[in-house]
Amino acid sequence: MGKGYMGKILMVNLSGGNIQEEIIPDEVYEKYLSGMGLAAYILYNRIPAGADPLGPDNILGFVSGLLTGTGSLFAGRWMVVGKSPLTGGWGDANCGGNLSPAIKRCGYDGIFFKGISSKPVYLYIEKGKAELRDASHLWGQDTVEAEKMLLEEAAAGARVALIGPSGEKLSLISGISNDRGRMAARSGLGAVMGSKRLKALVLAGAKRIPVHNREGIKRLSQKCNRWVQFQPPFVSGSMMPYVGAFMRIMPTVLAQDGMLYKTLLRKWGTGSMNQASIEMGDSPIKNWKGTNEDFGPKRSLTTNPDVFTDREIIKYHCHSCPLGCGGICSMTGKYSETHKPEYETVLALGGLCMNEDVNSIFHLNESLNRAGMDTISAGATAAFAIECYEEGLLTKEDTDGLELTWGNSEAITALIEKMIDREGIGDILADGSKVAARKLGRGSERYAVHAGGQEPAMHDSRNDPGFALHYSVEPAPGRHTIGSGLYYEMFQLWKRVKGLPKVGPLYFKGSKYVVDEEKAVRGAACSKFTNLLNGSGLCMFGAFLGVKKIPTFDWLNAATGWNKTPEEYMKIGERLQTLKQAFNVKHGIEPKNFKISSRAIGAPPQTRGANKGRSVGLDEMMGDYWKQFGWDTLTGKPSEECLARLDIEVQ
Amino acid sequence: MAYRITDACNGCGACQKICPVDAIDGEKKELHVIDEARCIECGSCGRICPQQAVQDGFGIACETIKHSKWEKPVFDRKKCMSCTICIDACPVKCLALSEAEAKDPHGYPYLEKEKICLGCGFCAYECPVNAVTMAVPQSVS
Repeated sequence: MGKGYMGKILMVNLSGGNIQEEIIPDEVYEKYLSGMGLAAYILYNRIPAGADPLGPDNILGFVSGLLTGTGSLFAGRWMVVGKSPLTGGWGDANCGGNLSPAIKRCGYDGIFFKGISSKPVYLYIEKGKAELRDASHLWGQDTVEAEKMLLEEAAAGARVALIGPSGEKLSLISGISNDRGRMAARSGLGAVMGSKRLKALVLAGAKRIPVHNREGIKRLSQKCNRWVQFQPPFVSGSMMPYVGAFMRIMPTVLAQDGMLYKTLLRKWGTGSMNQASIEMGDSPIKNWKGTNEDFGPKRSLTTNPDVFTDREIIKYHCHSCPLGCGGICSMTGKYSETHKPEYETVLALGGLCMNEDVNSIFHLNESLNRAGMDTISAGATAAFAIECYEEGLLTKEDTDGLELTWGNSEAITALIEKMIDREGIGDILADGSKVAARKLGRGSERYAVHAGGQEPAMHDSRNDPGFALHYSVEPAPGRHTIGSGLYYEMFQLWKRVKGLPKVGPLYFKGSKYVVDEEKAVRGAACSKFTNLLNGSGLCMFGAFLGVKKIPTFDWLNAATGWNKTPEEYMKIGERLQTLKQAFNVKHGIEPKNFKISSRAIGAPPQTRGANKGRSVGLDEMMGDYWKQFGWDTLTGKPSEECLARLDIEVQ
Repeated sequence: MAYRITDACNGCGACQKICPVDAIDGEKKELHVIDEARCIECGSCGRICPQQAVQDGFGIACETIKHSKWEKPVFDRKKCMSCTICIDACPVKCLALSEAEAKDPHGYPYLEKEKICLGCGFCAYECPVNAVTMAVPQSVS
């Protein structure tokens, strides 16, 4: 009887072309799960300290999740991992689409690449045979066109992950695409793939995925699905900014149940919050300098959620997703179709740059997906460049004649196209705002908002200090998909995990800014739990339903037959977090240097708008968080005793 | 547990041709062999073998079934979540997602390539909400 995982990985050495299967012992899965846990175990032990992220010693891994293909819902996430060239430490990116089951159908939980190929290649797997094929004809092609060409060369139903020109040109903010532009965008891992001259993986396996108790999983899935399919009629898109404004005006916060967000996701997708988030102070505006008052409901009206669903041709469901928050949209201009622009994309290219032109957002969404560049980092870096221009640090001569002012959509489009082509000023900006500021000098560093080199997502840490914490303490910094005050409310972990603090139905906003140990306990719980999600291949939006409605722990037990308690699973999550932190320490990262830029934590506080007067006591929060894991409270480094307690072998 | 071929095999090669994962080896007119590590237990070799020379994982001889009588998936749209698990589960990729309709923006799975369907039932087996059932197509009389 199976345990949900395949028990094997594939290791491809691109330098010599050697391809080898490796059997992974059961104990490794019990300690680290599959997915990102398995990947952390491999990378921690096999990437030598100080390895060049773009050199042959870095290992790039594509991993599926333990629950993928077991009949669990929301279990279609795949992850790409490696040493990040953007941060110099642990790098991962997470994506939906259709690749995750394809990895397992080829017989592996993960496919890893080391070395560097002498010419462009792609990995092809079919009927148990893996081979490296020439990719010279695909080099330079965008992700959508190259994927089409690869599918023509492959067996029916093959799934593809690939880089576009940005990854080939080693842009440090490039990612990896799947299913015509869904991006594993963060940590700059597209550049690692480009440095290895690996254009793509094409997977056409048909293996069965062994499960301990598939009927048990089905019963749990049916119960979960009933919650997902419950869809009451809801407000129209034009009401959403007023929902956000109401939340801003209220002195109290109504603790959120994820069922509300689920309803919005099913109707509109992540774009449901395009306007509401600005109004409540969740969206950073004008390179984190502005406020909701600078980009009010009239200016953001063009990104009303209905605008996107009106253009939606069909809903897009990732593998095993009953919700379907994605969509394929029609558009005019150079391209005719695109994946529905996500909230992060709309705000990074919109409010952060003061850009009201939704057509430019559609165009850039597709252009960046085709180039294989992260829309969050691209938008944030453009906003950085605009502020530099407005403050006189960049001249029209520097920008090759672009009038780089706030909201100039033509100039923003041209600038990002230059970043894609690495042309002129675009060459400097194509590696993100931290590298650009270093190259530009002139005091521009103060306008680069980043954590450890990675641009944070479009969730203002002055509105939810939990975001400030996770942007700064995670081994892959700047990420919004791990934890926050809001996420803790929605995960509802206290309903299954003993000892975790419960969130009351109503609380005063001021209490969010009080630094206390309970906040650290919540933050640590989010990190541990998200590690479980990433070991399982589960989607964060599914997890927002709350652990009583999405049976994460029970699915894991039914898939593996382990019969572990939620507390035991959280311990696995703690082990993964510590292992990734140890990876960073091994590679010379000082964890405290990942602290996010002062502008994002209200130092000094804003003098107007939704986040007026708010600042976050981040230093103290970081120390308190590290303490939860038993790491050094001043340096954030795990001690040897801590590694021993968690049974992590130091090699 | 993998399928196996008994001495009754006459080496016609029909099983080798239909196997979706190239798990069967053998020369023409000689005994064929199933590679246990590759076999995915779809049962198509057993259904197509004219000699009834294939045994399933429990050692039970498979019954030869006329190709037109092989079961095919039937989809219940009311139960279907559009999650695409069935499409992924199919070893020959004969299922596809429909276009959206005016009143429903979600696509739904359907049997796009009926001729290559093996009737293995993996789509029905893996569907978490039992929206897929297997049935012999009714011939139009």
